[in-house]
Parts: sequence; structure tokens; C-alpha cells
Amino acid sequence: MTRPLLLSALILAATAIGGGSDAWAQSNGGARALAPGVKVEVAPAPGSGSAPAAGKVDETALRYYARIGDGERMEAEIARLRALDPGWEPPKDLFAPQPAATGVDESPFWSLLSAGKVAEARAAIAEQRRKSPSWQPSDKLLQELDLAESAGRIRSASDTKRWQEVVDAAAAQPEAVACNRLDNAWRLAEAYAELKQTDRAFDTYKTIVTTCPKAKERRDTIFKASRHLSPERLRELSALGATANPATGEDYSAVRSAEAELETGRLLERLGNAKPGALSAADLSRVQGIVRDKQDADGAIALGWYFQKQKNFAEAQGWFTQANEWTPSDKAAEGLVLAYNGLGDKAQARAAAAPWKGKSSRIDQALKAVDPPRGPAGPGGGRSAPQGPSELDRALARHDFAACISIIRGTIAKSGPTAALLQQRGWCLLELKRPSEAEAAFAEAQTLAAREPAKGGASATGTAPGKAGSRSPAASGLPQTATPAQENAYGQAIARLATGDVTGLTRDLPRANLTATQRAEIRASLMATEAGRALEDKRYNDVLRLLDARKELEPEPRNLGIVRGWALYNLMRFDEAYVQFKSIDDRLSTEESREGLSTAWKTIYHDW
Amino acid sequence: MAVMEMAVTPFHRTAGRAALWAALAAATLLTSGCAGWVRDNLTQSATPWRRIQPAALPVTLPDSRDFPIVAARMRDTGTVYKTYNVALGNPTSLAGENRLTVDVQTLPDSLFGALVQPPRVFPVPLYTMETLTATTRREFPDMKVKVADIARRNRYGDYDYATAQDAENSCVLAWQLITDHKRMLPERIEAVRLEYRVCGVGSNIRALLAPFDGLTLTLPETILEVQDLGGL
Repeated sequence: MTRPLLLSALILAATAIGGGSDAWAQSNGGARALAPGVKVEVAPAPGSGSAPAAGKVDETALRYYARIGDGERMEAEIARLRALDPGWEPPKDLFAPQPAATGVDESPFWSLLSAGKVAEARAAIAEQRRKSPSWQPSDKLLQELDLAESAGRIRSASDTKRWQEVVDAAAAQPEAVACNRLDNAWRLAEAYAELKQTDRAFDTYKTIVTTCPKAKERRDTIFKASRHLSPERLRELSALGATANPATGEDYSAVRSAEAELETGRLLERLGNAKPGALSAADLSRVQGIVRDKQDADGAIALGWYFQKQKNFAEAQGWFTQANEWTPSDKAAEGLVLAYNGLGDKAQARAAAAPWKGKSSRIDQALKAVDPPRGPAGPGGGRSAPQGPSELDRALARHDFAACISIIRGTIAKSGPTAALLQQRGWCLLELKRPSEAEAAFAEAQTLAAREPAKGGASATGTAPGKAGSRSPAASGLPQTATPAQENAYGQAIARLATGDVTGLTRDLPRANLTATQRAEIRASLMATEAGRALEDKRYNDVLRLLDARKELEPEPRNLGIVRGWALYNLMRFDEAYVQFKSIDDRLSTEESREGLSTAWKTIYHDW
Repeated sequence: MAVMEMAVTPFHRTAGRAALWAALAAATLLTSGCAGWVRDNLTQSATPWRRIQPAALPVTLPDSRDFPIVAARMRDTGTVYKTYNVALGNPTSLAGENRLTVDVQTLPDSLFGALVQPPRVFPVPLYTMETLTATTRREFPDMKVKVADIARRNRYGDYDYATAQDAENSCVLAWQLITDHKRMLPERIEAVRLEYRVCGVGSNIRALLAPFDGLTLTLPETILEVQDLGGL
């Protein structure tokens, strides 16, 4: 079940490796470096005494594992020895104490080595030699000490980004880079990649995924490689990892799914940034297939926006509908509203918005494209304008916020500003990441709204603009629909959040004219920001306190779940941190979730 | 090794014990909140941004119809850095705020401040070709970017800049590090970093750079301008 491997062939790429296969065979005994419960990095056979005579199986490591009660490693060692000598059987007196062949028990040195205390082990050996000058430590012990030191050098050079030194250290001690020291192998591959030796990086990853037997190790390797290799090479790597040298009992489907996850992420990212038609037909077809297979609502929404931007409203509507069926959300409904609006089907657009109306600012915004809150000089030409989406509606429907700004600017230049126009300008500026101007636009809208004459039905909410904000919807028994004044105040608050004005906003929030939902949303965002700051300040209990309070207002999004994981980790609540990262990673594995999971895992199992 | 013998009298023992207690007490205070450990530790990270009046900015910009000051903010990082962000008007429909950022690095005013300094809030060199490419790509997506070969000069010396253009608009990114504290900067100021990002309609790069060319630093301490140094 374990497979011999060393990456010396890669390290000494140009060198013919004399006896390389022997070295690989020697390293297979503990190819469990990532398995739970293994607390040491040093894997292969420890023991005392000298090397066994040729033809005789060396059982010292096996006896050592038996003595310390490491069942998993014992099994691995038995498998290794059987592979070396198919006729060999484990000794019956495996658990019986064995007399030390040379009169010196090496166990204390092995224990120090196992605990990562290499310098202490060397010192103890020197002290023992001073006491017993005729005694020689076993070759195996010395070899393991060398290996541990090399691994330390690789780690140290890698941590400080001295990439060439990583390669040099690995070349000096090729045995330090093996399946049972997978972290070193990853670091070597990364070093090659950083040194722009992509072919060697690829070869290193390839050796890992074709020779290390564990499916999890292969899968992790593909994720690691994704930072450095092209999609084509990753595809090749995944195909190899899923098929090459399969070990009994391992399920390599997870290796294939890793590639699919990466592929989906990559394509969806491209979808989000893509200009219309930027994705090839093949890529588009592939991402559609993946999204359908996984019933990935977020993916379907991304596809919906991709088509929406192309003004292919029918296709967009299909994907938004699909997303809403898989996982109903205001995000999916927002797309659906705008897609129906693009198709000119306002009734369907309103119907799609209905479940979220007044509950989601996203939907309330989208509805403005369906029923624009026009003033007397609105962009559509006033109430008597012909039916059908105006130029501004169409710009909003295709999320073209630059056009939104241009159209509003033109309208204002022609007919003067209205509160509704300025408010819409604020939202479009926010989308364009211009929060300071957005805040000013909302403030201006507020001022203008207060001056505009009351006009029945002038706004989508039916609130008299002149009295905006003076009426409490909750008190009047109406649903919590925001008045224009509240929408302006909400817009200003969102803009202030975007500018990082946390202190000022926290101070002003109690006096702000907001609906309860809006207030809760802003408060949740403020707490999220404060939690992030607390994490930076290393106030980990504060992080948890703020996130717990926030959770009472809104469900915790995954990015804050990651923050919670790190807070737990830094409070040394490693098990809880692991559970937290795991629950996030199980739902959707990302680089952040994997990093948290791997770090917590390594800390718990001392697997650095 | 020779050890100097010393007669241990009751007085010496008492004095020794007192010294020991004093040391212990000092150690306890230093490692507890009383010595401000938590506060000093926290002051190394940046405070949240806070709004300030444009008049409180340490910089004056020439009046500009296209690029008026929309908002001004500042924050501190430790006791050493003050960062000012001036959001400027943006007459285009492009994404991203027009802005001037001023980082002021002062010298620490205590031994502790000198020992425990926050990480520098701006890199030196301010840009490498790689970071500049990444920044211009982020700031001016889908625009044609060109890094100016020749530096320009404002009141505080030479500065570098990059331009970006599309069919309708132009943008500039200019950056400057003022470190001449022997002649230009007062003793207490270690460095001033300026970064200016502006987009405007049309293709007149000089017009875009005019506010940066004409800005005046008005830090509390005297900062001499290049022309002031001409006679030195």
C-alpha cells in the first residue's frame, strides 16, 4: 500500500542516479507523513545496532514501532518489509523486549529525534560516546539525523523565500524529499516555480501524484500546484494522479474532483471578469456542464450575469431561474428580475421580486430598473413616457454602471437634478468603487428630497418626498419598506462603510433614519469590519465576541467563518479551529479554507 | 573563574532583597497592562479612517473645477505614520476614485517608539516594474498604460508617473518620495510619500497633472521647496 519514492531524480535532474531506486525503496516505510496521529516527521526505520546483513530483513524499525505502540507505522513497516521479501513473516516475539545488541539503548536518541530535537539528539549521542568510547551510533540513526537537518534547512530556506537554497538543500540530501516528507517535496516544487523553472516544478508535482499512494496527498498536491501551473498542466497532473500507480483501498475520485473544483473556480472567475464573448465556446460549454452537474447556484448566477452583460436576456433568465430553483436567494432573484426586465416582461420581473421585496436592498434596487422612481423630469421622460425600459433602465439591467453615470449626467444637464436621479447616481458610483462621490450624491439627494414638492405616487414607495423619513412604516402597520429618505441614509451608510469610516458611522448609526433591516445590515457590516481589525490587533477574544454578536443579526458568511477559525486557532483552541475550517472546506474548498484546515491539522498532529 | 568574595552583612541582605523585590515588581508591571503593554501593542496597527475637514489636510491643492476635494480622511499607524487620503472629483464614468494620498513618516519621539515601530506603510522603492504593472492594471483596467520615461518636477522635486488612455478618457498615476531631510524636510519628519491618481475626460495629461504640480505641503513644520533651495 505504500510506495517507494524519492524525488532525487528531479533534484539531480541532469545526474544519473546511481542506486536511486534503492534509495526510493528505503523511503517507503513511513509514507504516512500526513496521516493523523503521526507526530514526527522522521519516518523510516529507527532502531539500534548496525545494518542487517545482506539478504536479511532489518526488523529494528518494526520492533521500535511495536515498542512505542505506533500501530499505524508498524503496519506500514510490515507492508514494506513484505514488499522487500515476500517470504518474510513478522516475528512472533515482536512485542517482547529485545536485548540491546551493543549494550547501548538508542531509544532516547530516537525519542529526541522524533520530537524534532535534532541538536539535542546529536549532543546526547556525543555524551554517550564520551561515556562509551567504543560505541558507535547505528548508521540508520545518523542517516535520520542528517535527513532531519536537511529537512530543517529546506523549511527554513523556503520560509524565507531563498528558493535556490531550497533546491540546493534538497540536492544535497535527496532522501529528505519523499512521500513521507511531502511538505519538503511541495516546498521544492514551489522553489522551482519561484525560480521560473516551471518544467521542474511540474516534474516534481508529477512525481508526487504518480508515486505517493494516498489520494488525499495527491489531491492536496494538485491544489498546491494550482498556484504555479497552467490549467493544461494541472489537467494533465490530475489525470495522472487519478490513474497512475493506484494503491489498494484508495479512492482517487477525489483527485479528479480537485481538478474539477479548480477548473470551475477558474472559469467562474473568468466569467465574472469576462467581456461579452470573451470565453471560448468550449470553455463556456465546460463551465455550463460543471455548474449543471454540481447544481452550483453561485455558478449559475455567474453564468446568468455573463449572459446578461451580453444582453442575452433569455439565456440569463434561464440561468437565474435555475439558480433560484437550486438555492433560492435574493442574488438569484435580483438577476431574474433584471433579466425579465431586459426581456420587457415587467410582470414576471415583479413576480420574481415579490418574495424578497422590502426584505432585500438588492431586490429593492433591482425593482427600480423595473419601476424607476421618476421625478417630473426623470430620465424616462416623466409619467407619460411610453412603456418599455428607458435608456437608464437598460444600462442598469446590463449592470453597465459607467453608462448609468453618463446617462444621469446627461439628464441632469438637460433637465436638472432630481432626488431620485441623484440617489440612482449614488448607487451607480458605489458600484464603480467611488464611495466618496456616492456619499456626496446620497447627501445631495437627501437635501433635494426635502425640497421637492410632495407628489402622490412620485416614488416607488409612495411616500411623500417632502415628508420623507418622518413616517414610521412599522408604526403605521405597513411592511418595513424604506422611504426615499431612508434609502438615501442607507446609501450614505454603505458609502461610508466602503470608505472605511467605521468610527464615524458607528457614532452616527443610532441617529440615522434607517429601517430596522437596514440598521441591522449596517450594524452587521460594522461588526464584521471591527472583527477584522481585532484579528489584526491580535485581540482574538474580541473577534469571537464580535462575530457571535454579528451572527445574531445575519448568518455568517464564509470569509468571516475563516476569520473565526483563525481567532480560535490563535487562542490555541486548535480542535475547534479545525472543526470550523473543516465545516467551511467541506461546503466549498478554497485556498483560504484549505490553508486554515491544513495549518490546524498540522498543529494538532505536530506534522510540520 | 575567579569570583570576588563579598561580606554579606544584614544590611546587604536587606538591600539585596529590596532590589530583588523592586526588580520583580518592575517585571510584573512591565508584563501587565499597567505598563501599557496592550496599548503599545495595539498602536502598531492602523486606526480606522476618520473624516477630516479639507482645511485640516497637510496639503493645499490648486482650485480645480474638474477635481474638487470631495472628502478628506486620515488615519494613524503607530505613532510614526499619518496617512491622509483626499478623494477628488471624477468627471469620467470610469471606475475608481480620483485621489491624492499623503503619508507622513515622523521620527519616533521616545526610545520605546524607536524600538517598537510599525511596519512601513509604503514600500521603498515605491514601485518596481512588477508592482507598478499590477497597480496600473488594477487602477486602469482595459486602458493603454505607459510609464513616462522622463520624470516631472513639482515644488518638492522630481516625481515619476504613468499614464493610461482609452478612446474618451485619460488617467495618471504619479508618485513621489521626499526624503531629503537634511535640506528639505524638518528634523522631525523622516519622509513624505505622495501618490496621486486622477482620471479625466480627454487626452490632456498636463491638465491631469496640474494639481499635483501645483500642490503645496502645509505640514506643521516648515518644509522647504525646491526653489527655496536654489540659493543654498
